[in-house]
Amino acid sequence: MADRPAGLPEDAEELSAVGFNQYVGPLYRLPDAEGGAVKRFAFVVAEKHMNSAGSVHGGMLMSFVDTAMGQTSRAGTSATGGSTVSLNSDFVGPGRLHDVVEARVRITRRARTMVFLSAELYAGDRLLLVATGLIKVIGG
Amino acid sequence: MTAPPLPGFVPTHLVDPFEIFVGPVFENGEPGAKTYAIRADARHMNRRGVLHGGMFMTLADLTLGQAVWDATDRAPIVTLNMQTHFLKSAVEGDIIQVVPELVRRTRSLIFMRGDFTVEGEIVFTASSVWKLLGKD
Repeated sequence: MADRPAGLPEDAEELSAVGFNQYVGPLYRLPDAEGGAVKRFAFVVAEKHMNSAGSVHGGMLMSFVDTAMGQTSRAGTSATGGSTVSLNSDFVGPGRLHDVVEARVRITRRARTMVFLSAELYAGDRLLLVATGLIKVIGG
Repeated sequence: MTAPPLPGFVPTHLVDPFEIFVGPVFENGEPGAKTYAIRADARHMNRRGVLHGGMFMTLADLTLGQAVWDATDRAPIVTLNMQTHFLKSAVEGDIIQVVPELVRRTRSLIFMRGDFTVEGEIVFTASSVWKLLGKD
C-alpha cells in the first residue's frame, strides 16, 4: 500500500489494483452518495499524471473514469469482469497538481449484459470531465 | 522495453510526464502521415490480462495530439472531446499501430480520428476534437 496522499478524505479506501491501475494509482473508493445511486472514487494528482501544460493529462482522467465506471457496473452483482465497449469524454476544465479528483458515477440503465453509465469528475467544486460509457458485463 | 517494436521506427519525443510514464511510443514516416506504434507490456494490462481501456485512450490522446502538433507547428492545444470504441482486446506483447487522420481543420478546431490495429485488425477507434488555444 502506498502512503496516503495529502488531502485524501479519511473515508477513502484504496482499491486493490494490479497492472495499469496499480501503475497509475493508487486509486480509492469513497462512500456512496444519494442512497447508493452514486458511486464515488478518488485519486490525488501527482507529478506522473501531468501534461507539459501544467494540467492533469487527459489520458489519466479517461483511465480513472474507465476504472470508476467498470467498478460501478459490477457493484452489487456477481459479475466477474467487464469490457468497456464505448466511452465518450468531454474535457470541461483542467485538473491541477495535488487536486483530489473525485469521480461520481451513475448507472443510466442496466440491461442483462450491457450497462449504460454516466460520470462526472470533480476537483472540489470544479467540474473537470463529463463522460458516458457502455460496458459489457462478464459473468453474473 | 526501449527497443523499437518494428524496423524503421524511432522513439517519439514525448514531453508530458504522463506520456513518458506510460511510454515509450515509436513512430515512422513523415509529419502528416506518421505511423505510431507501441508494444503493450505488463504495466498496461488490467486484472483480466488485457490492455486497460485507459491505456488505449491515453495512447489515442498521445498519438492524435502528436499529429495535431505536426499539423500546427506545435501550437498550444487542448482536447475538448474524445469518443472511443473498444472492438477487440489487446494482450501483452501486441504491437498496436495507428496512422492518425486529420479529418477537418477550422480556424480554432481540429477534428482527428484514428483506427488502432494489431496485426492489421482494428481493435480500437478514437475520434477527438482539439481546440487551438487563443483562436476564437
